Amino acid sequence: MTYPVLLDADHVVTELYAISNVPTVVLIDADDTIVQPNWNAYATDTFKDFTGVDSGRQLDAIRTWVRDGTPLVDEDTAREAVGDLTPDEEQAKLLWRIALHHRDAGDDDAAARCWDRAAELAPHDWTIRRAMLPLRGRDPFGDEFFTLAAEFQQAGRPYHGISDR
Amino acid sequence: MPNDTAIFAGGPRIDPATAESTLGWMLKPEGLCRDDTCVLVPDRDALVSDGGVDVRVLGELLDRPVAVDDASGTTAVGAPRGARRSALQELRAPDFSLPDLDGTWHSLSDHRTKKRLLVAFSSW
Repeated sequence: MTYPVLLDADHVVTELYAISNVPTVVLIDADDTIVQPNWNAYATDTFKDFTGVDSGRQLDAIRTWVRDGTPLVDEDTAREAVGDLTPDEEQAKLLWRIALHHRDAGDDDAAARCWDRAAELAPHDWTIRRAMLPLRGRDPFGDEFFTLAAEFQQAGRPYHGISDR
Repeated sequence: MPNDTAIFAGGPRIDPATAESTLGWMLKPEGLCRDDTCVLVPDRDALVSDGGVDVRVLGELLDRPVAVDDASGTTAVGAPRGARRSALQELRAPDFSLPDLDGTWHSLSDHRTKKRLLVAFSSW
């Protein structure tokens, strides 16, 4: 079995699907119906000690859906699960794109300015705050990571979707 | 960028030809038009002045999010909110196109008629 691996540098999909953390998995039926919206699901137990999520149970649920179409949640739950981006989150995702534009043009100061604004507007969006760390030359597993993780925990682990944690 | 988003380095005011070539919307007497669809423009002076289209006003008219880096003027236009809201509320997967590691572009719709597992992950 093969599958395409795609690069989303501008975070187009995170905007379209209101994704705020990874991994995020979406199950889409053959007729384009989303049967399982944004879902914090894992392919392995690599992060189990950190997340407490059992990937085996999630993989079994995916296999069942593939084989016989059994949805993981009912339709009402699926409709309510994600919640739209707030205006601040929208702004933050666009500022990410502008920051990347500045960085690609060699203007690191301008990029930093936009990333800082994006982080203020969406402080619990990992696709912004965590993703920017290596792009700014910072340690993605350093103090800033643990600060972000602590703030995320304190805020109740906000997530646009179904979290199994 | 084949997705329906755009960045304008020159500031929030762009020339009408750029608005048309990047976003596909043309200002006509009946309003802002793309293909067979036209959106009424209640205040043309707010949208166009000194020959430039204000992207912020354009975004309001077309229900598109717009962000501006004031220091540089760089302006980003996001995807139509309707596509996102429809994905969330009507459970319809919005299409997108992205390149693979070799630069070949793929769309979600390339795999229509099959069940699809979309996994967003990172190399952080």
